[in-house]
Amino acid sequence: VNQQDLDPDSTTDVEDVTDAEEELIKKCEEMWKDMEECQNKLSLVGTETLTDSNAQLSLLIMQVKCLTAELSQWQKETPEMIPLNEEVLVTLGKEEFQKLRHDLELVLSTIKSKNEKLKEDLEREQKWLDEQQQILESLNVVHSELKQQVVTFSESRVFNELKTKMRDIKEYKEKLLVTLGEFLEDHFPLPDRSVKKKKKNTQESMAQLITLHEILEILLNRLFDVPHDPYVKISDSFWPPYIELLLRNGIALRHPEDPTRIRLEAFHQ
Amino acid sequence: MSVLRPMDKLPGLNTATILLVGTEDALLQQLADSMLKEDCASELKVHLANSLPLPSSVTRPRIDLIVFVINLHSKHSLRNVEESLHHVDATFFLGKVSFLVTGAGRESHCSIHRSTVVKLAHTYRSPLLFCDLEIEDFRATMAQRLVRMLQICAGHVPGVSALNLLSLLRSSENPSLEDL
Repeated sequence: VNQQDLDPDSTTDVEDVTDAEEELIKKCEEMWKDMEECQNKLSLVGTETLTDSNAQLSLLIMQVKCLTAELSQWQKETPEMIPLNEEVLVTLGKEEFQKLRHDLELVLSTIKSKNEKLKEDLEREQKWLDEQQQILESLNVVHSELKQQVVTFSESRVFNELKTKMRDIKEYKEKLLVTLGEFLEDHFPLPDRSVKKKKKNTQESMAQLITLHEILEILLNRLFDVPHDPYVKISDSFWPPYIELLLRNGIALRHPEDPTRIRLEAFHQ
Repeated sequence: MSVLRPMDKLPGLNTATILLVGTEDALLQQLADSMLKEDCASELKVHLANSLPLPSSVTRPRIDLIVFVINLHSKHSLRNVEESLHHVDATFFLGKVSFLVTGAGRESHCSIHRSTVVKLAHTYRSPLLFCDLEIEDFRATMAQRLVRMLQICAGHVPGVSALNLLSLLRSSENPSLEDL
């Protein structure tokens, strides 16, 4: 029973298809016949050639006539549709959808590629930004470090250095002085007062003698206090043999015009 | 049959035929090649002729568009076109004729004044196109234009007739009132 039911259905389908085709073909034939009729009518119309003088006017008149005719034709005409049966509609619909799908696919691929490019750009820019930030951070650190160092160094270090230097020099000076004093005491003592002079009438007014150390101190002080006149008058408190000693060894110098004045040799210049 | 008529035959199926008339054989051939390279839904046929009338011995399809090619460097091409115009039926000039002028680029070689061709096109109420056919890019553009015009003249574009196109191509530099 089922088979029988199916069979009439399938035959109607085939009929539908052929019906649609036949309808279309019939329409085409009709249109072609119309065209042939028009063509016959046209061939009956005579030919007309133009010369330069009459061309413009004749053409303008012709154009007016034809445009008017076209206009009335357009106004009369109602849009004629191809027979709208299922087959035709389905085919047309499929075509439209195919076109639409194709266009949408194009759009999709364009947008996808744009998207990817944007992503790449974003990644690249992000990486660049990170690198720049890292550089900035490390530069900041270096900067702050350097700033600190500069401050600390330029103040305390130099100060400390100077202090230590001064202290060392002072210590050295003290040492030198002490050593000098000891050396002088050991090797150049003051003469013994108890040494008796044979000739009592030579009143050697023995003013209080000062040590060689003290003589040197006087000479030294004078040299640094008054550099332009470092001469000291020989006083009685200077023991003459020591003066001779200083003069002969080049430690002290006589004044070129005044034999009573001596100065310390400027060893530091 | 010495006069060319626009509707003397039934059209071929999905076919559009253009006739190029001019003395410059090489240029016409190049233009024809460029046109045939164009993408077109209709089948294109290009016929070349030095002058009209065409020999009646040859069977040819219905001609949809005639383009007269004038070279500004040669007075001969202008005279040739002027004479050929007398062998064209008046109804052709309802949008199915166009004038194409080449050689305007090299001003020094021009022996025909531009205003002469402008006047000619105006007299015959047909569009005037300028193109240096020797330059490939310009030729390709002009070929595209001609293919579109041809499609309309052959009726392959629904809703637009050759006459409509003519009205649309009314150029603004028509030497208007003085001539009339």
